[in-house]
Amino acid sequence: MQDAITTLINSSDAQGKYLDETSLNNLQNYFRSGDLRARAAMNISANASTIVTKTVAKALLYTDITAPGGNMYTCRRYAACIRDMEYFLRYATYAMLAGDPSILDERVLNGLKETYNSLGVPVGATVRSVQAMKEVVTETLGADAGREMGVCFDHICTGLN
Amino acid sequence: MSLVTELILSADSEARYPAPKELRIFQDFVKTGEQRIRIAKALADNEQRIVQNGSQKFWERCPNTPSNSGNERKTASCQRDQGWYVRLIAYSVLAGSERPLEEIGTLGIKEMYNNLEIPIRNIAECMRCLKEEAMAVLSAEDAQEVAPYFDLIIHSLS
Repeated sequence: MQDAITTLINSSDAQGKYLDETSLNNLQNYFRSGDLRARAAMNISANASTIVTKTVAKALLYTDITAPGGNMYTCRRYAACIRDMEYFLRYATYAMLAGDPSILDERVLNGLKETYNSLGVPVGATVRSVQAMKEVVTETLGADAGREMGVCFDHICTGLN
Repeated sequence: MSLVTELILSADSEARYPAPKELRIFQDFVKTGEQRIRIAKALADNEQRIVQNGSQKFWERCPNTPSNSGNERKTASCQRDQGWYVRLIAYSVLAGSERPLEEIGTLGIKEMYNNLEIPIRNIAECMRCLKEEAMAVLSAEDAQEVAPYFDLIIHSLS
């Protein structure tokens, strides 16, 4: 995986150069937002299960997907769905801390769409629930941290579509 | 690899959120961001001076060495390498981790210089000279952040 710092280091190293002015400015912005990112991560960690519960209630619970014939019907599938929601939240938090989405590509999105298709998991409903999670997280953390997390949730949705 | 990546990968290997202690380390790290950027700029701006003065000092201590053999091509490639180590240290200061320096510059360093038939002891002495010159262009506080990375290179050569 990469983060906001290592991407800049790697691209500078490929040219054998020091970080230029633009890269150093980007880095400065990342350092300045670091405290916000750390506090957001602590907050999410403390509220992770509430966030998932609210997300499921918002996007999935009262739809056909939980009824017989739906992909969340049977406790086993319901549990698997919650587990995936927890994964999305945790990895989005990692990506937000890193200031870089590459960990989502490597550890969540790689092959996910194909897996969901083969399991019959509806991608549309998944995308809607990730969007719902984005709203729940913004309500929980406030606008600034919500925006940083929003970038990561949108990255998951783009990767699924 | 940076301090940030290290903490995330360690949390992920246990499928958990970063622990409060890890996040505190991260907060302390970003708080020193301005200093890290200042050091990286100082190293970039003074690289030539560090390498030139460092070489002079090195040749006084080790006169019989490839970079002082009169072969200009050798001198140029040795000094280019020395400048590269200053650059890698700037990366590590920014990353808050020795990993960039290790991954790019010290894993395999002995094998490489042995293969180039450059005496390892001379390289280590040269790195000591570069360190002294780098310390001289930085404030005491900034020098303290940079010194361990030079020591790491010297140590990897022993």
